[in-house]
Amino acid sequence: MKKEGLGWRIARDIIILLGLILILAPLYIVIINTFKDLEQASKGFFLFPEQWKFDNYVELFTKNNFWTYAKNSTIISVVAIILVAVINPAISYAIARNFHKKYYKAVYFYIILGLFVPFQVIMLPLTKIMTNMNLLNITGLIILYVALSLTKGVFMFVNYIQSLPLEIEEAARIDGCNTFQVFTKIIWHLIGPMLATLVVMDVLWFWNDFMLPLLLLNKTQDYWTLPLFQYNFKTEYSFNYTMAFTAYFTCMFPVLVVYAIGQKHIIAGLTAGAVKS
Amino acid sequence: MKSKRESTADKLTNFLFTIPAVVLYSIFFIYAVIVGVNYSFTDWNGIAKTYNYIGFENYKSLFENQYFWNTLWVTVKYALLLVVGVMITSLILALCLNSIKHLKTLTKSIFFIPAMIGGVTISLIFDQIYYRLVPVIGEMLGISALSQSPLASAKTALIAVVFVNVWQAVAMPTMIFMAGLQTVPGDLYESAMLDGATTFQRFRYITLPYLMPTFTINMVLTIKAGITSFDYAYALTAGGPSRSTTVIGISIYNDAFNNMKFSLANAEAVILFIIIALLSLIQIKISSKGGVN
Repeated sequence: MKKEGLGWRIARDIIILLGLILILAPLYIVIINTFKDLEQASKGFFLFPEQWKFDNYVELFTKNNFWTYAKNSTIISVVAIILVAVINPAISYAIARNFHKKYYKAVYFYIILGLFVPFQVIMLPLTKIMTNMNLLNITGLIILYVALSLTKGVFMFVNYIQSLPLEIEEAARIDGCNTFQVFTKIIWHLIGPMLATLVVMDVLWFWNDFMLPLLLLNKTQDYWTLPLFQYNFKTEYSFNYTMAFTAYFTCMFPVLVVYAIGQKHIIAGLTAGAVKS
Repeated sequence: MKSKRESTADKLTNFLFTIPAVVLYSIFFIYAVIVGVNYSFTDWNGIAKTYNYIGFENYKSLFENQYFWNTLWVTVKYALLLVVGVMITSLILALCLNSIKHLKTLTKSIFFIPAMIGGVTISLIFDQIYYRLVPVIGEMLGISALSQSPLASAKTALIAVVFVNVWQAVAMPTMIFMAGLQTVPGDLYESAMLDGATTFQRFRYITLPYLMPTFTINMVLTIKAGITSFDYAYALTAGGPSRSTTVIGISIYNDAFNNMKFSLANAEAVILFIIIALLSLIQIKISSKGGVN
């Protein structure tokens, strides 16, 4: 084992401690101030509330159409991720097992081309295309998420499926399974780890995304997602910041709960995904 | 091979598997790129019923415009600050986190929390902290530069925006570096110790070469994130004050939707496209060489 000097250990612990403070302090400030009114908050940002108040939460949950935005965000994230989790493995399986054929190889490189294109290039034309197709709504946003998930998804899955052994599939075919059954009964189970990575990456993207909802949904308040609501809240509640903090905290709360439960898998999955793309 | 036994039905299944993806991708990605490049050669303002083709006029006027050069310069500064901030912080954090013995999993989990939070959410939180907390600290320490929110001054706004971006963007590279550190063989350290290598020498000649592949990945991801960034600057400053935080992402958005220069904004996007494509090619070149793998 590596023996470490005392100096290095002290420096290391100080750095980690500073890092922890830097990460946790903003979160602490947000959470602690959601339980205060403005008068209490003005006495000190860091202080515990003298009296725990839930007025901000009551106001958030009863006014502002909060539940409409939460519902929109949930529908978009859930429907989009289901479609993403079906379409990406399906096309990747077809490509991976037919890579020797011209069509599939061409499709692969056609879709991988997207890796070179920054989002800003398609952002403006998309607003026009979506307007013309009458898709400036939640359905349109879901379709876009599925379309834009493909480059990274196909890139991740094709290599992964090619690395899976063929023997199990061969055996299944001898038992009389056709391609569709091989996919649903066998491949579907073998791609689990990669699928988990894709789902975590893309759910976080859909839930936290600001850019696409801003482009597509900002004009119709009934279609707002939670990030749009938070952003528009800024202008409305810039003075009432404990209220604003309540909105911010409530929006990240579901993600933090899921993270607390599955952090090990989430970290591993996201790291693998980042290295892949 | 199986292709001999492949039935027509199976061939059809494979083909059908590709159809939804190819159709969606063609309409909403490839077609969009073509339309965008096409717009960049017109004089369309985004609303009028008709437009004319004007060749490279948009590109010409961009390169003659000092605001656009300013935007490019701000983008470069933003990307550089982000890369320096993220790479140094994440490398140090990974080395520190990797060597602790107690509460390692918990500490690691806390350091990854920022990756869970949306860019807009965290920007809005820091907006309040900058506005309400920084002046208090400035007064306490007697530093006049901190007497107001750093976002309000053209001198400090860019650093303040990048700071928020770094706060969030450090999490992922830290974990990637930690994964990279697992690939360094432990016995190399032992023999280096026997040869009397110092801690720094061990880092320089053993750890660093083994980290090179992960270093490249993190570098490329961060450069791309820096050049294409939007959320943080948009939520914190909307590009101000005095365009000091107008990165190219903000400029494209503002020109298209606020300044009625839709086709000009498309030309800006195409320029960004060329920059990113070149970077991607360099990335492929570098990663095919690699370090110790």
